[in-house]
Amino acid sequence: MKAFEYVNPADVKGAISALTAGGRDAKLLAGGIDLLGELKEYIRTPDVVVNLKSVPGLNKIESDAKSGLRIGALVTLTDLVENPIIRQKYSALSDAALSVGTPQIRNVGTIGGNLCQRPRCWYYRDEEVVCLKKGGNKCYAIEGENQYHAILGGGPSFIVHPSDCAPALMALGASVEIAGPKGTRVVPLDKFFVLPADNIFNENVLLSNEVVTHVIVPVPAAGSKSHYMKIRHKESFDWALAGAAVSLVMAGNTVKDCRVVLSGVAPIPWRSKEAENVLKGRAITAEVAAQAGAAAVAKAKPMAKNQYKVPLTQNTVKLAVLHAAGVAA
Amino acid sequence: MIDEKQVRHRPPEDGVSRRDFLKGVGGSITATAVLATGAEENAEAAKVMPALGQRLKGTVRVSLNINGEVKTAEVEPRTTLLNTLRDHLDLTGAKKICDRGSCGGCTVIVDGRTAYSCMMLAVDAQGKKITTVEGLGSPEHMSPVQEAFVEHDALMCGFCTPGFVVSCSALLAKNPNPSLQQVKAACSGNICRCGTYPRVFEACLAAAKKMKGA
Amino acid sequence: MPGWKKRSEMRILGKDTPRLDGPIKATGRAKYAYDINLPGLLQSRILRSPHANAIIESIDVIAARSMPGVKAVIITANAGDEMKFAGQEVGAVAATTMERAEDAIRAIKVKYRVQPHVVWPELAMKPGAPKVHNDGNVPKPNKRETGDVDAAFSKAKFTSKGTYTVAVRTHASLETHGVTCRWDDDTHLTCWASTQGVFSVRDELAGTFKLKPEDVHVITEVMGGGFGSKFGAGYEGVMCARLAKEAKAPVKLLLTREEEQLAVGNAPSASATYTLAANEEGKIIACDVKGYSCGGIARENFPMPFIYDVGAVRSEQGVVFTNTGGSRAWRAPGHTQASFLMEAAMDDLATEMGIDPLELRLKNDKHPLRQAQFKEGARLIGWERRNPKPGLGALAGAGRFRRGLGCGGAIWYPGGQGGSQCKVTINRQGEALVEIGVQDIGTGTRTICAMIVAEELGIPLSKVKTNIGKSTLGYGVASGGSVTTPSTAPAVKRAAESAKAALLALAAPKIGANTDELDADDGKVFVKSDRSKSMSFADACKLAPTGGIVGNGRFEGTPQRPDPLQQAGVAGAQFAEVEVDTETGRVNVIKVVALQDAGIILNPLTFTSQVNGAVIQGIGMALYEDRHMCQLTGRMVNANLEEYKLPGPMEMPEFVSIPFENPTATGVTGVGEPPVIPTAAAIRNAVLNASGARVNEAPMTPALILGALAEARRRANA
Repeated sequence: MKAFEYVNPADVKGAISALTAGGRDAKLLAGGIDLLGELKEYIRTPDVVVNLKSVPGLNKIESDAKSGLRIGALVTLTDLVENPIIRQKYSALSDAALSVGTPQIRNVGTIGGNLCQRPRCWYYRDEEVVCLKKGGNKCYAIEGENQYHAILGGGPSFIVHPSDCAPALMALGASVEIAGPKGTRVVPLDKFFVLPADNIFNENVLLSNEVVTHVIVPVPAAGSKSHYMKIRHKESFDWALAGAAVSLVMAGNTVKDCRVVLSGVAPIPWRSKEAENVLKGRAITAEVAAQAGAAAVAKAKPMAKNQYKVPLTQNTVKLAVLHAAGVAA
Repeated sequence: MIDEKQVRHRPPEDGVSRRDFLKGVGGSITATAVLATGAEENAEAAKVMPALGQRLKGTVRVSLNINGEVKTAEVEPRTTLLNTLRDHLDLTGAKKICDRGSCGGCTVIVDGRTAYSCMMLAVDAQGKKITTVEGLGSPEHMSPVQEAFVEHDALMCGFCTPGFVVSCSALLAKNPNPSLQQVKAACSGNICRCGTYPRVFEACLAAAKKMKGA
Repeated sequence: MPGWKKRSEMRILGKDTPRLDGPIKATGRAKYAYDINLPGLLQSRILRSPHANAIIESIDVIAARSMPGVKAVIITANAGDEMKFAGQEVGAVAATTMERAEDAIRAIKVKYRVQPHVVWPELAMKPGAPKVHNDGNVPKPNKRETGDVDAAFSKAKFTSKGTYTVAVRTHASLETHGVTCRWDDDTHLTCWASTQGVFSVRDELAGTFKLKPEDVHVITEVMGGGFGSKFGAGYEGVMCARLAKEAKAPVKLLLTREEEQLAVGNAPSASATYTLAANEEGKIIACDVKGYSCGGIARENFPMPFIYDVGAVRSEQGVVFTNTGGSRAWRAPGHTQASFLMEAAMDDLATEMGIDPLELRLKNDKHPLRQAQFKEGARLIGWERRNPKPGLGALAGAGRFRRGLGCGGAIWYPGGQGGSQCKVTINRQGEALVEIGVQDIGTGTRTICAMIVAEELGIPLSKVKTNIGKSTLGYGVASGGSVTTPSTAPAVKRAAESAKAALLALAAPKIGANTDELDADDGKVFVKSDRSKSMSFADACKLAPTGGIVGNGRFEGTPQRPDPLQQAGVAGAQFAEVEVDTETGRVNVIKVVALQDAGIILNPLTFTSQVNGAVIQGIGMALYEDRHMCQLTGRMVNANLEEYKLPGPMEMPEFVSIPFENPTATGVTGVGEPPVIPTAAAIRNAVLNASGARVNEAPMTPALILGALAEARRRANA
């Protein structure tokens, strides 16, 4: 890690002004699991690190029967896992939070950090490799070791978004509250993440002097069910090879509304409208779920070493839909 | 081979898209100029200040509550809790194995929950209650978990052992009656290379039984 | 020369005994090389080439030398030197803190002229590939032919052919390589080393610095894993001592995890195409095999064919060099790979023949002990439940999760290596001290030494102290090849016998008997024919002179002159039950039964831990571990413990570890290597049996399994 100046702002405003003053040489630190990894690898070498944890009040989960959940950015993943309301009503989020990393990571890692974490791509994380995302002129995954890279939404960079909570929250229709120099804005997660084609350097719309302060999750409609399924190579600490967050609004036996959001397969949490369209208005059966899976990967463009992700994602969507609906596979 | 034409350089805009950057958002441009003058660093580093207050740089004195004692160390803001424990306080029970938060060798308990001390800055650990493996027991007075590890041979080379002891102890403090599956999950952030896992599970379950009986 | 007691007569040996260093390890008080903190200690780091192949043009250390806290900068590479892999050493620095040492290596400016590289063996073998060594990448292969292979093939009833591959694995020892060094004066060096061989480190440092071996004091009280990669002082050990000399201060130099993954050894990859032929009766009559291994810039082989009697053999074995870190001995060198390749070929032949693969093994395995182990293992795993055809049967079922069974066998040869010198001292307080330089690498050597002495002297284990892991003590072997116990235990036993004899001689006049009529056991010295004539062990010890009674013992066995207290050559067999998720390609290992001969087992508790640990490393090999090299950048993309996937707690099956010894065994042997050999093969064959997925590569990732399942479906539909 390069030496840096450490700033403890008293409030969100202070954090924003410290970030503004630091410009691109300043970085925001919450739990630190992701940022310290980047600093240790010299992927980022900020002169100033702004500690969001010194801002009081951002570590609360507020729930309201009308407005839903308002989760402070500093709420840890363990806090989410242990929250009974989230377990009961927002199960995809609970599943997702539990699937992150390890107990030690969940105890320290925050929801804000989980949404804003940087890619795990092994070229991005290698200081010696100057890839597109670091100002270079190529994405090494295209010709290189691409077994964990994107099959959907890729190009010019083929990272996959590492967050498990983001697809779950997106399936639950969540937004983030962002504080910046000009005030606060609320951005639906659907619009928060951006593809590399639109911004090669950042995976979301956050500016370097903006701070995600809260996550807002609306009350699920009556008849809602949700689930997040993460398929990983090993169960003890691993990233998603493929994952699917599914939320269903059921009217009797049929799907009134739904969202299907994929993880581990695209540079952003990947909303699959194709899969959603298959499910809407249908009763969930193994066959319908399989059709949704097939639709989710219809436009997949695998590379040399990640072709397995196509059938894997297809099956994951199928299994996640069945699990969410409570139908046996 | 790495393309040598791509000299290592900083991305044109870090975290700010080109479009937004050109729109001239906030202080990004002025800030660069301000930091370019950051020359007073060496003068600043000469004095050691307590690691309190709004801005910390150079060498700072951290004050940490470890195993019930207040300990101070002169570190930098970038110094991890793990390096502080090991290199400044001679608390070498927590091990540096991966130094990236993926092996559990450096696990400590921070305010009742386990944490990787390699992924936490010492300045951030101030004001928290930290327990290391040394705080759980000594060779002469081992905790029930430590005793069970020895009795069940839940250690071979022993390098991962402190981390597993801490993870199991934190589990039992919260859940005195865990299932095998819960023990596995509680240890899932710890790696053992010699391959002692089954005996760690045995030891943790045996310790739970013993603690209930006590 | 007395042998080991009968098991029924053992009081301490042969009983589950918690290791003596357990309490210091479980409480974080054990001091590894990495934990040694000394007054004025400096931290250090090594600078390495980021390029897989490059010529150094210039090195500029001026900035680094003038940085705050930097105490020594030593560059070992010169302009013009060729760096042959990403991770090769350039130099090292020492500074007051870890952070400053890191700042300093980053301030060293090295200019490289980058050359074309090759990091994949299949590309390195091609004509025109960049040359790793001057004489090329593919040395002349070893060819051998026994019997008339062509004739045997022409009359074969069944043949089966397959190409099988095992990926490179890293040792991934949790304590990285390294040492802490302190110069006591200009000619005396103390070195706390994370090593498997205190004497090999001593000799390397003494040679490098032109010191007398006895003036280099290497200490390894505990060490955090080596698995075959930690024998010498290595670059890191030598540089630590050099930095300490230059800085005139003690220095600690332990590698980072990335360096550990890149530069200090790995298990070479192996690939082989096996063609096996069998006759009507199921006897294998011919084997044609062509294979190669790749250990980066280093060379290593593996046995092929492996363990079975396969009739006429034509084999061609080569090695390939690449621009990657060199291989080193990795727990049972070559044998884990050999087993996977051969056992996979055996199951594929059995499938081709339509017979039970266990039956094929029993018909073609001449080893009588392994025959018995295979039969007992089959009983313990419930082999009768096995699916009669791959993927088809009651055990597999028809759902998403399919279960199956597989097996594999193993052999391991080394026994004791001569030279061990042990000293046992009995003091006047009735305590014994056992001293031998040998290190305990986590296998329980320290505990076994104390157990042997307690058994021989007939005193409780708590009365025996140990002093081991120091080069100032009597010679002990390096811990590799499973030789530690067979080399050490006999010397310890003889030292204890000798001390006991001296004690009995002192006690004899007091008891009123001849020395040879006496024995010691159960805290007493007594007349063998009349136990009422006795005195307490403690009282006998009071007769000793001030310095106590000293006994010395040696072990001088050689393969030509074997020592009956040790055993060479052990057999093993393992069975695995797995569950394959046909939707995701994930494999769960449900249960592993490991039957292992280990001669007379001194401590069953640590024996079982070693067998469990070997099986777990086998699971890693079968399913997870793979050093990924990128040909585009020439760099290892997973030089960490996040993407280099080691099995964790959630991946653990049920373990059944059975000591299955040769009934005629009279000696002891080591068990570090043998049980790691067959696990991956048993899992591979169980995956085949469960699902019909014929996966010919280790690790068997979800990608490979999904591919093999699709292939199996295509075959079934064809």
